[in-house]
Amino acid sequence: MFSKLLNEKEFILFDGGMGTMLQASGLEAGEIPELLTISNPKLITDIHKQYINAGSNVIYSCTFGANSYKLNGSGYTPQQVITAAIICARAAAKGTNTLVALDLGPIGRLMEPNGDMSFDDAYNYYKEQITAGNDADLIVFETMTDLSELKAAVLAAKENSNLPIVCTMTFEQNHRTFTGVSIGAMAVTLEGLGIDAIGVNCSLGPDDLPPIIDELVRWTNLPIVVKPNAGLPDPNSNTYSVGPDDFAKSIEKLIPYGVKIIGGCCGTTPQFIASTKAMLSDKKFVPRTPVSFSAVTSGESVVLIDRPRIIGERINPTGKKLFKEALKSHNIDYILTQGIEQVSAGADILDVNVGLPEIDEKEMMITVVKSLQGVTGVPLQIDTTEPDVLEAGLRVYNGKPIVNSVNGEEKSLSTVLPLVKKYGAAVVGLTLDENGIPKTAQGRFDIAKKIVECALKLGIERKDIYIDCLTLTASAEQEGVLETLNALERVKAELGVKTVLGVSNISFGLPNRELVNRTFLTMALQKGLDLPIINPNVEAMTGTVKAYNLLANIDKNSVEFISAYNNHTAASASAPQSSALNIEYAIEHGLKKEAAKATTELLATTEPMNIVNQKLIPALDKVGAGFEKGTIFLPQLIQAATAAQGCFDVIKQKLTSTSGTPVSRGKIILATVKGDIHDIGKNIVKVLLENYGYTVFDLGRDVPPEKVVETARENDIHFIGLSALMTTTLKSMEETIKLLHEQKIDCKTFVGGAVLTYDYAMKIGADYYCKDAKESVDAARDFFGE
Amino acid sequence: MFILEKINRSEALRYLGYKGSTPDERTLDILADCERSLLEAAVAKYLYRRFELSFNENGIEVCGTGINLTGKSISAHLDGCRSVVLMCATISSGVDRLIRRYQATDMTRAVITDALASAAIEQVCDVADEEINRRFPDEYKTWRFSPGYGDLPLDLQRDFLRVLNAQKMIGLTLGKSTILIPTKSVTALIGISKDELPKRKRGCAGCTMRATCKFRKAGERCV
Repeated sequence: MFSKLLNEKEFILFDGGMGTMLQASGLEAGEIPELLTISNPKLITDIHKQYINAGSNVIYSCTFGANSYKLNGSGYTPQQVITAAIICARAAAKGTNTLVALDLGPIGRLMEPNGDMSFDDAYNYYKEQITAGNDADLIVFETMTDLSELKAAVLAAKENSNLPIVCTMTFEQNHRTFTGVSIGAMAVTLEGLGIDAIGVNCSLGPDDLPPIIDELVRWTNLPIVVKPNAGLPDPNSNTYSVGPDDFAKSIEKLIPYGVKIIGGCCGTTPQFIASTKAMLSDKKFVPRTPVSFSAVTSGESVVLIDRPRIIGERINPTGKKLFKEALKSHNIDYILTQGIEQVSAGADILDVNVGLPEIDEKEMMITVVKSLQGVTGVPLQIDTTEPDVLEAGLRVYNGKPIVNSVNGEEKSLSTVLPLVKKYGAAVVGLTLDENGIPKTAQGRFDIAKKIVECALKLGIERKDIYIDCLTLTASAEQEGVLETLNALERVKAELGVKTVLGVSNISFGLPNRELVNRTFLTMALQKGLDLPIINPNVEAMTGTVKAYNLLANIDKNSVEFISAYNNHTAASASAPQSSALNIEYAIEHGLKKEAAKATTELLATTEPMNIVNQKLIPALDKVGAGFEKGTIFLPQLIQAATAAQGCFDVIKQKLTSTSGTPVSRGKIILATVKGDIHDIGKNIVKVLLENYGYTVFDLGRDVPPEKVVETARENDIHFIGLSALMTTTLKSMEETIKLLHEQKIDCKTFVGGAVLTYDYAMKIGADYYCKDAKESVDAARDFFGE
Repeated sequence: MFILEKINRSEALRYLGYKGSTPDERTLDILADCERSLLEAAVAKYLYRRFELSFNENGIEVCGTGINLTGKSISAHLDGCRSVVLMCATISSGVDRLIRRYQATDMTRAVITDALASAAIEQVCDVADEEINRRFPDEYKTWRFSPGYGDLPLDLQRDFLRVLNAQKMIGLTLGKSTILIPTKSVTALIGISKDELPKRKRGCAGCTMRATCKFRKAGERCV
């Protein structure tokens, strides 16, 4: 019925504010308006009727906050309130053609990693509401500010009903939502998920909307909804600044952008709808020119594939001892650092592969995707061979990702492509099938064609298919290099899709790999490569893309190239500095690079463990003593620890390359207890402990007691640190210690946190109370008997 | 929304434990750099609304909100006041993200940025305070009092956010364990009176952090 409206009506009128009307009839600030659908249904039905009489084609049920989080303690369930609300709306619409929308707003909790609501929590809240409201004609999600919450909502709607879906988000003057979502990221992601109309509501008045709508229409072909406030509110009286006629006049200015659906939000009343209807009576809908582009997004930003974009390849355990080690010990920070480093070096997109036989790849993929998205704003490419890992990653991913990959095998096509379609992703298609990789360009082109045809049949658009013609090793199959490049050229020209290529493989087994890689990359770019998968930390590779963009007239006026290299001095030009610094000095002064360098030099003459015990630890102790005396302050203490990390990295590498045994003075679990998300204190402790040579299993924040017990048991760990910052979460600390004791884990605990006291720590059964990070090192030494 | 132009560095240094002493040059450089990044990431917002008060035997009712303020500390704080301004402020989840990123890559910056952000949210509250003063110029005001001070329950934060419509207006929410999210945020109330209020020291006596406060341990005060 909604699609009929879209097809037949010049414009569709939604309703105006519900809360505004309820406040006018005496609703107090902070009262739950949705409960009136039960206590005073006549009032609600009356308001709906006023909107219908004013000309609304669609009315919103009074269910904006009717979720089990907001209704908690009210004595009512979402089921009860939503059923009552739909009855009110249906009663008002009776005898008219008016449609009833199930209106759902944000849950009221912030999503991870900003807040503590998980994707599954959000999904379940919405599922409960959607199931209760299945009698509506469509579902509207409005006033949303977090794209990941909205994605959970849309998936809940898609998986639990067949109703059309309308989404509107709330933008600020800076064209972003409170959580930083950009207009492009919203549009690209939601259109991918297959909703029916998109737009903005609340927050700004209609006069502020033209630039926002102007941007929105560049990113989507979906029908556009506007439901602005009646201007800006006065915080004191909660009254709004724009009247019905001025509102209609401002809306008129939005028509040329191709707006289809119009309503009002806070501060608007039936008069606003009536005035808007009158204004629209002689207006025509302005059809939009369809837009088409290739793009992927994070929650915040869009990366257009309209020029070569670098996919960083480093988040991948293949052939990397330290990375494998990090996956096994759940060292997420190591993986995050790999991500952030690549982004700083110039990666536009990050490939994420966390497959290792010994670990739970699915759980790791979820954790890494969420964590990476919590610290970088670049889109991700989910790289796995397991369909369930892929789907888990796609679900929690905030934005539109790339799937790596599908290939020409029937099984791959039939499992991967439906997921790509469902989650609105882009997909890498590998030109191989049951028979392996064809030798010739023609063979690979044929498989590419098959993949493209299958994808198109499922409704995946051509712009979202990226074909990989597969790089073979030049040393083994020299004649294959040009086949790859020729296939790439044909795929791009004849199939009209984007191309992607892992570059580094080309030089395997050859000397001067960088030179070979760089040359191959240049050749591929010239053939039309859109997405090189490279190690962006290698300056020559990233630089090649920059130089190509300059020479191919993509980087107009060489702006980006000049800004990158204006102050560049070739690496060879700077004279190698002889290190006059010793390790002690470097650590005391927080000089990480110098500390690493001094360690490398010393390793030539000294045993690794001697460096640790005779140089590193004494230097750290000296800084620690200064900290205790109050002559050295926290930032310096951490800088010293970070510098020590420089030494440890060098020593670790040496040890793993020679004996394979990583240096460790003992294993320690660290966790910020359940309910607490302040983990800076715990992380300070972690840096110190690690740089005293302990292996830290960092369980992160908001950690349930069971997880601590399980990790201790599985990894045979006997020393456990717990942190809590709030009075309200000390209870969780107590419960964690209690469970460790009950489960007879042979361990000692050390605890710390702002509100914790010695007495309280002893009362809850902790073994060590640490007033600061330095004391946790003392506790560890005491425990491990040094 | 307004633009924070600079951050009170000496306040941030105090949070980091520098009792008036000057940090080394390297730390000062990092501090300056962190301040720049923080100012880029921060979106400062605040919200407030005035309500009448009604005193009864169960506490103090904030009229038209369903909020009842209980406890000795708040009774003493609002003694003589006829109305109250409920307020909340935040510097946005972009700041949480910045600190999170530093925690993965550079703990020194994380710690320094955290301290700067704590100073920044206080500055935002000061700006809100000034606006409230301008708006009600001829009346007397108490200092800002937050849920969790003295025996005023922390749970009240939930009611403050609800009454002020804080999620919708400035994106401020409450997590489990009554943690404000974004984390660098504040809820508070300011008492308003037609008559001059007795001078009340904003002291440690009523503070929940009294037992563990690092400023007190160092013989200092936080305000």
